[in-house]
Amino acid sequence: MNESEVRVDYASIEKSLADLWRGQNQADEHAVTRAALWNVIAHTSTQNDQAHASETLSHAAAQVPQRTIVIRSQPEEPTEIAAWISANCHLVGGEKQVCSEEIAIVAGGEAIHRVSPLVSALLLPDMPVAMWWVGDLPGDHAYVKRLLESTDRLIVDSSLFNSASDLALLSEVTRDVATNPADLNWIRLEEWRAATAAVFDPVSARGRLAGIRALRIVSTASTASFGDSTESLLYAGWLSSQAGYDAQSVAHDFRTEKRTRDFGSLCSVEIEFADGKTASIARDDARHVIVATLDGKEHTLDCVTRVRSQDLRSLIVRQLKRPEADRVFGRVLPIAAALASRMAA
Amino acid sequence: VPLELESARVRATDMSVLEPALETNPLREGLEQERVPDPSALVIFGASGDLTQRKLIPGLYSLAHEGLLPAGQTIIGFSRADHTDDSFRMAMREACDTHARTRPVDDAIWENFAKGLFYIPGSFDDPDGYQRLKAKCEEADRTRGTGGRRIYYLAVPPDFFAVICQFLGQLGMANDPETEGPYTRAIIEKPFGHDLQTARELNRVAVTTFRERQVFRIDHYLGKETVQNLLVLRFGNGIFEPFWNRQYVDHVQFTVAESIGVEGRGNYFETSGITRDIIQNHMLQLVSLVAMEPPAAFEANAVRDEKVKVLRALRPIPLKEADRFAARGQYAEGSALGKPAPAYRTEKNVSPTSNVETFAALKVFIDNWRWADVPFYLRAGKRLPKRVTDISIHFRPAPYPLFSQMQDVKTHRNVLAIRIQPDEGISLKFDSKVPGPAVRTAPVTMEFRYATSFGAEPPEAYERLLLDTMLGDSTLFARRDEVETAWEWLDPLLKKWESDRNSPPMYPAGTWGPEAADTLIEQDGRKWRRP
Repeated sequence: MNESEVRVDYASIEKSLADLWRGQNQADEHAVTRAALWNVIAHTSTQNDQAHASETLSHAAAQVPQRTIVIRSQPEEPTEIAAWISANCHLVGGEKQVCSEEIAIVAGGEAIHRVSPLVSALLLPDMPVAMWWVGDLPGDHAYVKRLLESTDRLIVDSSLFNSASDLALLSEVTRDVATNPADLNWIRLEEWRAATAAVFDPVSARGRLAGIRALRIVSTASTASFGDSTESLLYAGWLSSQAGYDAQSVAHDFRTEKRTRDFGSLCSVEIEFADGKTASIARDDARHVIVATLDGKEHTLDCVTRVRSQDLRSLIVRQLKRPEADRVFGRVLPIAAALASRMAA
Repeated sequence: VPLELESARVRATDMSVLEPALETNPLREGLEQERVPDPSALVIFGASGDLTQRKLIPGLYSLAHEGLLPAGQTIIGFSRADHTDDSFRMAMREACDTHARTRPVDDAIWENFAKGLFYIPGSFDDPDGYQRLKAKCEEADRTRGTGGRRIYYLAVPPDFFAVICQFLGQLGMANDPETEGPYTRAIIEKPFGHDLQTARELNRVAVTTFRERQVFRIDHYLGKETVQNLLVLRFGNGIFEPFWNRQYVDHVQFTVAESIGVEGRGNYFETSGITRDIIQNHMLQLVSLVAMEPPAAFEANAVRDEKVKVLRALRPIPLKEADRFAARGQYAEGSALGKPAPAYRTEKNVSPTSNVETFAALKVFIDNWRWADVPFYLRAGKRLPKRVTDISIHFRPAPYPLFSQMQDVKTHRNVLAIRIQPDEGISLKFDSKVPGPAVRTAPVTMEFRYATSFGAEPPEAYERLLLDTMLGDSTLFARRDEVETAWEWLDPLLKKWESDRNSPPMYPAGTWGPEAADTLIEQDGRKWRRP
């Protein structure tokens, strides 16, 4: 990665980027192709988070080419703003270098309010914009909303949320600015949703969805962090939304098990029907499988193949590879937020 | 190309044959892996052959790696080779180590995948072998949840189709349930016959045991992402279709070039030639996708109905002046990729007096409203300078040559080029002003490359087609009438060439074919595009 500091105005940054590309083409033996499918903005508030986001997105750019803008916003620091540009390149087929560009903006004090218009000017036209909010959403709604004005998708990781109100805040903010919400924790649930769906694939089992009476979910936890419970809440919200029952009318039992790893991950789900029978979906760590049973019949979705990497880089890539907003998540979020409020109460 | 046009997600499914349960389960909405099929017993006839080792098992493993195979998916190899389950698994592991797209092979995934691999030794005319096969399939139903679902992959020469179908029918292994129930499907590999008569015979044999909807004829070109993207490019975008007709298109070129020779397939190639091997199937499929009308729905039969209309509209090649519409050639000694290359007639299992064509070029007209009098130039050959498959749409010039009146200004035609392989992508060539005080123009290109924009390597065609068969989606498979119509159009030319005792014109290996191919297009004032 080549990195250079530039003046902090839109024209200077764009000119420096143009110079960077010309230099890259002359210096490299491989032809350089510039590519972008997304504008991805990472919002961070510490130096560590900034470095982490930058590294994550530079790797993600190999699979989802993008213009990356990493913001480090520190209102408590002295008022100043600085920017750097760099190109992240990788070889395709050992021949051609495909490069994505990264702009880092560090703002402190009052200068954080200059970030939003600067970012807005730096976005590539005609490409969608995703904002990855690293960490908890702040209480300053106006600041968040300004940054989200040109954003199509807000990506959070609800496993890092501190309280039930964060889920409600996400729901509220994205509704107000017409930005689609997205959650890396929701991607973590994919295999669980697929395993559950398989139970109800037979037409004969489909009718049972209307008779769900209770849901017991066990997840892992590190301490008493709220974030560890969000996967369970999203699962419960999803089942309610898709099965078409009122979440308030079903008994929910959320439990946690202390483990030294996989905090927040689901361990098992038990769905109880009106006739007293149950379906269960459980992780089998030894076989790397998720096993679902209904009326004693096992639906082994196997599968080592189904258990996909849950590292942050993969989750970001999977999120960005979804071209459209996730309508299901949009429906699930308010239900999960309501369940969280009820649980907190 | 906007991300939302990524074909894997926008392709609709053949609702008429998909398991209804998967389509209406509300819990499936929005899942990344919406299309994981139910487990089935996939029987590969010819399991010790090259296709199984290079494409089928590696393709199935890659599907497992991507999480697209169900847990109980069972694969049963059937052939004469003396294998046990274990030795078959070992041989297939080696095949995956060498040929799988997703390498290195993941031990954990392989272990799980290999549990579903079995082998039944037997010859294709041995009734006992089929009994053992039937018993193994039924065992899979009990132990692996395959539920009576069967897929038979006939990775064997067409001579064996009849006997295999006959035994499957006799033992009640090819049932076609009218309503919900376990399905039975048969996958047939090309060549789909040697001419119209043999194609009809082959189809007749297939449909004595299976119904047409159970038969999946694989043309692996249709499984390529770029070929599928032809439909998205044309019908998913608003800007191309208005220009996609005789008013704006001057001509269309198709090139399927291979740098290799017959590579040990001399026996096969001596009976086929490049026209049967490439043009009758792959190229005519590409022509029909480029020229077809928009289908009423993105559904298997609607798409194939439109494709077959194109084939029916192909103007017969006038045999009395065939040289104006068709050229053939055979490669002589030359060089390929910097190395000396032998003549076709000196290749293994090739007659030293062979007149089989290793190159063919055709000028084709589609007699319909959209394409009247627009020539489609097709060329395919072996031992050409490089391996490339490419389609180019050449547009008419601007109506008034405004800039050509100026000195030193030469304008160029706009060309939309679709690269099928390798380095898959699309480019648009247009003229731009060269910076400076004078008005000079130069051609420039706008380029889209799959690898650049989507990062990951696209899946192998066989992966997609195997998965589609499991899901019962036949959109990307050739239908009986497509195959027969293509033969019907090509048969007279092939018979004329076969009756000609003269050698085909020779071209040195490593060149773009015989002079006759250049003449074919240059007589119309056009040139082959260098792909």
